[in-house]
Amino acid sequence: MTTRPPQLETPFSIFHESIFTPNDAFFVRWHLANIPQKIDPDTFRLTIRGRVNHPLSLNLHELKTQFEQMEIAAVCQCAGNSRGFFQPRVPGGQWGNGAMGNAKWKGVRLRDLLQKADMKEDARHVRFDGLDQPVAEATPDFQKSLGLNDALHEEVLVAHSMNGESLPMLNGFPLRLVVPGWFATYWVKMLNDIEVLNEADQNFWTTKAYRLPADPCHCARPGEMLTSTVPTGKMAVRSFITNVENDQTVTGGKVFDIKGIAFDQGYGIDRVLFSMDGGQQWQSTRLGTDYGDFSFRPWEAQFIPETGRSYRLQSLAINRIGESQRFSPRWNPSGYLRNAIETVTIHAI
Amino acid sequence: MRVSFFLSVWLLVTIIFCGQVVAKNPEEILTFKLPSDPISFQPAPGSQLANNYCLICHSAEYIYMQPPHPRELWTEIVHKMKESFGCPIPDEQISPLVDYLLSQNSIQISPPTHSVQSEAPEIIADQPQSFPGDPRNGKVLYERHCPTCHGAGGKGDGLIGQSLVPPAANLTLLREKSDTSILDTIRNGRPGTAMPSWKDYLNHSELNDLLSYIRTLSP
Ligand code: HEC
Ligand code: HEC
Repeated sequence: MTTRPPQLETPFSIFHESIFTPNDAFFVRWHLANIPQKIDPDTFRLTIRGRVNHPLSLNLHELKTQFEQMEIAAVCQCAGNSRGFFQPRVPGGQWGNGAMGNAKWKGVRLRDLLQKADMKEDARHVRFDGLDQPVAEATPDFQKSLGLNDALHEEVLVAHSMNGESLPMLNGFPLRLVVPGWFATYWVKMLNDIEVLNEADQNFWTTKAYRLPADPCHCARPGEMLTSTVPTGKMAVRSFITNVENDQTVTGGKVFDIKGIAFDQGYGIDRVLFSMDGGQQWQSTRLGTDYGDFSFRPWEAQFIPETGRSYRLQSLAINRIGESQRFSPRWNPSGYLRNAIETVTIHAI
Repeated sequence: MRVSFFLSVWLLVTIIFCGQVVAKNPEEILTFKLPSDPISFQPAPGSQLANNYCLICHSAEYIYMQPPHPRELWTEIVHKMKESFGCPIPDEQISPLVDYLLSQNSIQISPPTHSVQSEAPEIIADQPQSFPGDPRNGKVLYERHCPTCHGAGGKGDGLIGQSLVPPAANLTLLREKSDTSILDTIRNGRPGTAMPSWKDYLNHSELNDLLSYIRTLSP
């Protein structure tokens, strides 16, 4: 999508090919263009400092040998995934549906690192910084933070591997924060500094960017001034049909398999419904292998298209606490958090 | 249309990126090279402003990928670039720049189908004395396009020159550099830095004029 800084979208067909998104096709999104083009794993250090009694400076070997290694399957999705479909259109990266991916992330629990550093009583927030830097001095460095409770969740990892390989440079070699269920903006790449704070982070990227209207819908009317906002935080339940493209033709009169994926913010998918008439009638689908609550969940359904007819295919996911996708798209000025039911039209011949 | 655009950019860029990831082995130093910007601001009234103020931190794609925005929204975006990110554009230039941005909004320009780097350089031979340009015209071109970063005297001390990472080069210290390499940098820019490509703005003889002018600059 852009070359400087690099932003690349995963071609949608990849989601049909495998439930785990290959590293070399995984979407890429940087904010600042001054990214190190060279990293020496032998001299690289991760520091943990701030409101701690024992600041740490760890090399990769120590990280891989002195702490328990964990692996988790989790979806990483940009808050602005599908922004290109907002109506009226909004500024920002004009992503289709490919600013997301599912991978097996391996590394150490952030919690274990924080425990080893021995946080002081007044620790409240944890801030993460990577090696990427702004081009102009006046641009705020890209940092994100989590409240202490969220940071201490056991699935939050400092990961060194993705799908069994070292992280690629473009996806944050040598370390990336993995915050399952949360939008990708928190998954700081090239992570080299963790700072424990005793007050809320005032950094631009936490306080000004990645904000949603505060109302429960996170909706706004075009042109409306936002009076109160909240951070983008966690994802919302979504599903996609992955094996057909819009306007594709299929053979009528015989059984056609529909395949897709669903995911949410970590409650897990309870069921996915499928419609072939634009949402008037819904049928149930079969869920496939469960790779964990944070992963893509495959699903499939069948129907027999009649020759000469067109079908508006839709899927609707519901998670284990009963949240479903939205029937009508929400609108907000930054184009975040789309989770409306998507439609794919096919023609049977 | 949009999807195929994403796809082609994806392919283009993955080819470049993947081709240049030197090592996957964790024991080795990892390096990769960033590709050059595939598109530049189209020459039109106001494009100098965009070249000087909108290529510092990101590529022109950030602008060309935007859907149609009204004037107020473009003005708001430019103010955000200035106030939140430190874009050094003077207030009185904002309105002419917005005119230009509106004129470019939603123009479809397709990136080249092959990498800019692999293009055979148009510069023909590396004969140090073979680029006789007109330094007077070079000065005019320099003053139009280059001082925001490189400074009036070429020392890299323009309005924003030293705050860039890497900083704008001191053009008075290029004695050791061959004409070809200087021309190549001006033509194609420096991938991964704020130095833009000028090939859509400057033809062969203008490049030579600029080179001759740069050769007259003294430290
Ligand atoms: C000092 C650095 C800097 C300069 C100079 C700059 N920008 Fe930006 N721009 C940014 C940053 C940082 C972002 C956010 C990048 C991201 O999140 O990917 C951005 C994002 C954008 C976006 C995407 C929409 C948005 O609001 O995030 C547009 C459009 C844009 N810039 C236009 C411009 C224009 C036009 C100019 C010339 C006036 C300009 N920029 C100059 C730093 C800069
Ligand atoms: C937006 C800022 C910007 C503008 C405008 C700009 N430059 Fe640059 N230029 C840079 C930066 C930054 C570098 C240093 C890149 C590096 O370190 O690799 C550079 C490097 C160069 C070099 C390479 C010097 C060397 O050491 O090899 C030349 C030659 C050059 N610029 C010429 C020009 C000319 C001529 C213009 C006007 C037509 C121009 N630049 C406009 C930012 C800019």
